[in-house]
Amino acid sequence: MSFRKRSVNVGDGGGSIAKDKILSTGTRPSPLDGRPTTSTGTRSLDSLLAGHAGLVLGNSLLVEETGTTDFSGTLLRYYASEGILQGHHVHVLGMHEGWARDLPGLSGESSSIRTEEKRASDEKMKIAWRYERLGEFGAGARDRPFSNNTTSASQTQTVFCHDFDLSKRLVIPSSAQIQFVPASARQSLDFTDTELGISPFTTFLNHLATHLSAAATAVHRIIVPSLLSPALYPPQGSKPEYVLQFLHALRALLRQYPANLTAMITLPLTLYPRITGLTRWMELLSDGVIELAPFPSSAIPIKAASNASTSQEEPPQGMMRIHRLPVFHEKGGGGGESSGFGDDLAFSLSRRKGLVIKPYSLPPVEGDEETPQRGIEHDHGKATKVDIEF
Amino acid sequence: MKAGLFFDINAKMTSRIPPLLEPYLALPPEASLILLTGVLGASTNWLVLRYLHSTLLRQDGLSEITHQSEDKVLLISFMRDFAFWKENGRRLGIDFDKLVTKKRFAFLDGLTGLFLKAPQKPSSTKGGGVVLSKSDLASVHEEIRQALESLKGREDAEDKVLLVVDQIDLLLAAGGDGITANRLIEMLMGLREHVYAIVVTLYADYPLLGSHQTPLETDHAALLLSLAHQADFTMSLRLLDSGTARDVSGVVRITVGDHAAEDVQGLHKRIEERELLYFVGGDGGVKVFERGQ
Repeated sequence: MSFRKRSVNVGDGGGSIAKDKILSTGTRPSPLDGRPTTSTGTRSLDSLLAGHAGLVLGNSLLVEETGTTDFSGTLLRYYASEGILQGHHVHVLGMHEGWARDLPGLSGESSSIRTEEKRASDEKMKIAWRYERLGEFGAGARDRPFSNNTTSASQTQTVFCHDFDLSKRLVIPSSAQIQFVPASARQSLDFTDTELGISPFTTFLNHLATHLSAAATAVHRIIVPSLLSPALYPPQGSKPEYVLQFLHALRALLRQYPANLTAMITLPLTLYPRITGLTRWMELLSDGVIELAPFPSSAIPIKAASNASTSQEEPPQGMMRIHRLPVFHEKGGGGGESSGFGDDLAFSLSRRKGLVIKPYSLPPVEGDEETPQRGIEHDHGKATKVDIEF
Repeated sequence: MKAGLFFDINAKMTSRIPPLLEPYLALPPEASLILLTGVLGASTNWLVLRYLHSTLLRQDGLSEITHQSEDKVLLISFMRDFAFWKENGRRLGIDFDKLVTKKRFAFLDGLTGLFLKAPQKPSSTKGGGVVLSKSDLASVHEEIRQALESLKGREDAEDKVLLVVDQIDLLLAAGGDGITANRLIEMLMGLREHVYAIVVTLYADYPLLGSHQTPLETDHAALLLSLAHQADFTMSLRLLDSGTARDVSGVVRITVGDHAAEDVQGLHKRIEERELLYFVGGDGGVKVFERGQ
């Protein structure tokens, strides 16, 4: 086992001669066990996936979100953009072409963040290069991108996870393989048709099956935005036999193409709460389950005002919980590297850094907050100032 | 020298099965039903693999003397394909392909083709697994019966076939109106007549059992409760109640079933109720220990 790990790491980071021919673009072997992984387009999410430093191919991720915000949709867009940039085939269910117009574009290469990161990665001891990906979570907390480290080692190597800028729009090249399949909301007036019950997912499954067998060597990404949202799906779609059969079939497809396919699904939790059996089955049928719980919108500006001055860190916009991780929990759950499972995680979304997930820590109490900024010697002065104001 | 080598191999073989679980994982008495339950984040896969291991790779003197009776296993999995079981079995030293050719093991794949109507790739890559392609209960039953018969082979053989049904609750949840808890329980009861013993894995998440609001939930609760009452003992896995820990994956609780009191075969002597902690390592190895150890 230790032999396998070692050879994989050397092939990936150092030499990258033999492996590049075998691996498709946008994939790399997991540092844990060498399974091919691909990026979700969000670095800090990649680093959370039980030490695999990416989404293991042949697995799905269910992103749940409470409330009316659409952070999970942003995650999906990063995932789609990453797929298009890597030349993966992207299949979107239930959306029309307009969805692709809102995909985030690449951020500029000359940004100051990037050079700073480059410097940071150069400063690193070279001996640690093969361990640093194992501690990827800690690195994610400091927003140190993973791909830059590898690119500094060999500039020619392809980028695993791109940097996106939410304010820019991705120009989709004509060669991009992105397909939109509507959820077949065939509202027939014919009563017999609804009696028979045609699953709204059959066309999508057929589409996937034909495209996967046609391009069996390419890497595919399946995107299912807001599953079962009444705006997109016919009411009978939420029948357990339809949606669970769809997820089961999707699982079968993922297992059938273990080196070609990943899927990301988002689910509005407000409509389908986690205490219902149906949602639990959807979670059980997915390989990874994460839940986003954004803070109420009124809380954000206050926190932003108070926190932004003390630190450069983005104020958290919500909490994130990991309920299940791909591969890790299927084996039994344990022994993963820095999974973040069960930890209190917070996320913040910013234009340049994308969605950043880090361990949640309570902000300092209002009174203590000023001290790091003004320094210790000003502490006394501050107290008198308050007194004077009274 | 030779004795030392032998001892080494033996020690390695036994270490795959956690010592504290050995009495529970040994081949159960005839006609028993063992229920394994898991929740989201605490899957029963490692436990199922331990059952397969202890049944298929028993190295004790008994099986060598009586060549007529071999312990065989039929595994039906509705959530995982054969590749998963093969990969994780290999880590335990179970070579499923070899056991398939020796007719000691058979696999029924309830994932790949159950709800996917797409044209299947030729099953040469699957290697020995029969793919269930129809989700109605009658054809599932028929497929299991056929697989059992082909596994048993000769009529007069005294082979003990252990039937392992992994996550048949999926069929109940996704199968539609045609499948009810009662029919599923009847089917399992019917199958028990043809096998030596049966191991069933089910999900026991609270949302599936706690609220009886939808047919999905009531059916699941009915299935689980009924099987739990029939079971000789139940091993239920759950996450740590006090949050997560680095070195603990979850809790396994062993509950003796209703029949244990009037049991004459001595099962109750081996089985005692207890609660243990377990940890599944990254390499698939499992440690089972008591609280505080």
